[in-house]
Amino acid sequence: MLIELLTKKYPGMRLWLAQRLSAVVLAVYLVIFALLLLVKQPVGYEGWLELMSPWWWRLFTLLFFTSLVMHAWLGVRDVFKDYIFNIKLRAVMQILVDVLLIVYLCWSGVILWGIQFS
Amino acid sequence: MKISIYRYNPDVDKKPYMQDYEVELQEGDQMLLDALIRIKQQDDTLSLRKSCREGVCGSDAMNINGKNGLACTTKLQDLEQPVVLRPMPGLPVIRDLVVDMTQFFEHYNSVKPYLVNDDPLPETERLQSPEDRAKLDGLYECIMCGACTTACPSFWWNPDKFVGPSGLMAAYRFIVDSRDQAEAERLENLEDPYRLYRCHNIMNCVDVCPKKLNPNAAIAKIKDLKIERAKEKKAKKTISITAV
Repeated sequence: MLIELLTKKYPGMRLWLAQRLSAVVLAVYLVIFALLLLVKQPVGYEGWLELMSPWWWRLFTLLFFTSLVMHAWLGVRDVFKDYIFNIKLRAVMQILVDVLLIVYLCWSGVILWGIQFS
Repeated sequence: MKISIYRYNPDVDKKPYMQDYEVELQEGDQMLLDALIRIKQQDDTLSLRKSCREGVCGSDAMNINGKNGLACTTKLQDLEQPVVLRPMPGLPVIRDLVVDMTQFFEHYNSVKPYLVNDDPLPETERLQSPEDRAKLDGLYECIMCGACTTACPSFWWNPDKFVGPSGLMAAYRFIVDSRDQAEAERLENLEDPYRLYRCHNIMNCVDVCPKKLNPNAAIAKIKDLKIERAKEKKAKKTISITAV
């Protein structure tokens, strides 16, 4: 239901709501992650590998990073809108941040699924 | 008492400067406005607004030792010396402590701060239940001094677009009024990404309000109401499609 409000019909609300929804995902993940660490107490590489190995957990972790990227994107966008009044400069800065965030997101996927390129 | 005041007369001065005054307080002088009136007797070129001298008209809002407030309700004994007085930030200065509040009132007008009700006028008055009337408490008391809006960084960055805490609180005051019939239009009127959603809960408005009101809470309630109403609209649409 809330997702349906994230449409062009609500230009102001959808950005605000998207930031809040992503914050909820971040909060839920961090609480579960903290509990998991307390229960499993992974030690060393093997321990962490076991913790991160279930596919659903890796998917949830990717959702966490996706939300983090979305949250950061909206936050930085707000800061740029407030402080940078030169439209061209703002666009350049925004593109730089966008590229960086997309790289981070892809990178987190690569790490989670242990993809080797060489 | 030492008071340092921002002076600027655009007809004479190239740029603003601070002028120091030494004021001899007399018995009965308790509020900052009393001291300012003494200064005005010494130097009648100083410009400031004042009227009711009891925190009701909101004329003498200014920046007092870095924080917006009303000169008439600020006690002299609570102030650190030298007291530094500047005009409210974020608005053009007309002269000395007098600012041009046109922008502020334009935003206030933009939220239609009056009851919209198309029903025929009743014989006596439009009645409210005590519960409905209680919803207006903490909202209607705003004296529109502008202290909150000019203390808000979101207003400083986007003064032409962001309605500001005072205007948004006025909007909410009419949204929750049981006698008003324009709730949907009022909420729609705040949909632009800049008008309402530039509020980032910085809370300067709550900190400076001389009437101890909470514009931030009103803004949060508008945001909640917007979601609620949008969900209801969606549900209604789904029902009507199913009925067809």
